[in-house]
Amino acid sequence: MYVDMQTGTVETIMSNSDLPVVLIVEDEPDVAETYKLWLQEEYEVRMAQNGDEGLELLDDSVDVVLLDRMMPGLSGDEVLERIRERDLGCRVAMVTAVEPDFDILEMGFDAYLSKPIRSEQLHETVDNLLDRSEYDSLLQEYYALVEKQATLEATKSSAELAESDQYDDLTERVAEMRDQLSDTLGGIEDDSDFIATLRGLSEEDNN
Amino acid sequence: MYDLTSVLEFDALSQVRPGSSILISGPAMSGKQRLAYDILADGMDGGDGAVVVTTGDGAGDVVEEFRSLVPDMDDAQLGVIDCRGDGGDQEVGNAHVHHVSSPGDLTGIGIGITKALEGLHNAGNDRGRLALISLSTMLTYTDKKTVFKFCHVLSSRLDSAGYIGVFTIDSGAHDDQTLQVIKQAFDGMIDVRDAEGGGREARVLGLAGEPTDWQRI
Repeated sequence: MYVDMQTGTVETIMSNSDLPVVLIVEDEPDVAETYKLWLQEEYEVRMAQNGDEGLELLDDSVDVVLLDRMMPGLSGDEVLERIRERDLGCRVAMVTAVEPDFDILEMGFDAYLSKPIRSEQLHETVDNLLDRSEYDSLLQEYYALVEKQATLEATKSSAELAESDQYDDLTERVAEMRDQLSDTLGGIEDDSDFIATLRGLSEEDNN
Repeated sequence: MYDLTSVLEFDALSQVRPGSSILISGPAMSGKQRLAYDILADGMDGGDGAVVVTTGDGAGDVVEEFRSLVPDMDDAQLGVIDCRGDGGDQEVGNAHVHHVSSPGDLTGIGIGITKALEGLHNAGNDRGRLALISLSTMLTYTDKKTVFKFCHVLSSRLDSAGYIGVFTIDSGAHDDQTLQVIKQAFDGMIDVRDAEGGGREARVLGLAGEPTDWQRI
């Protein structure tokens, strides 16, 4: 279900489940409409006019949230806090009128965009955040393989390992997966990739 | 390339590729931290930056230690991420020091490392060596899965910074499976152990060619 913020009507959209879902939380309708126009070809776009609405529309299917920092009612920071509390695993980009300093990363946002935003910039940011989620799941998969491999190594003799097809296969997949990881995001490209990825680890750990 | 042979004379350590992460593994009290510090101090002698992530020594003690290891050291060549969770009021001069609430606060450690790398970069250090002491302590705060991923992600970050990293682990404190998992996050390993008849010996695995033989250090 999709709520059109402009007309207030509720319409059912053909569920385009293959497309990543972007939720725009923005109190200025013109600005929100512009983002939507830019993004709707590649993503399923949902829109909320304020923080409360944003939190209502937020569920497991949302991949990226574009969150305006200065809104009437719940502020962007407060919305972020609730999102993190709910452990939804979505990535959150803060949209701000001023260029923030390093503290943005410490505050728990995954990226920021300062207004005015260009179409290209918006696409880049959303794509990068989706890449990060991809990286996280690859890393999880990689770990699962490494753990299996380690279990075999810890329980079998080297002669047994040399004869084991399962071990051979695992070793090969571990190597492939390692390459795939360094191709995603170019490994870890910059500071915000680094911090956001680490934040993801700590959150998983708390589960 | 990084040449570690003046610290440990192994051919396999003569050309360590920037971005490499090395695990230093050995039993308790076998000189792992000493070795890691020596690798950093040797780099500082040649003008490399150094970053120490510590779960044991306080930031002030680390700074003091490096001042004595590297008499010509410029404080700004050194970054310390002190994860012991006390605010710390020790004298640290111009070193880039960051305090983190606990060895389990991975985001905090990441932010500290980022700031230290930035500080070192601004001070003109574009090469450097990072030491994390120790993974064993981190493993008491968080599970092996998280530590493994942390090491992998940190290695990627060091790769893009062109740094090398050395990470210590107490091989007697963890089960085989945990050690095997953690090893996989690294490009290579330096094994240390007490030698028969006193002294210590080491071998290098995974960095270049076959594992080396044990060699007295």
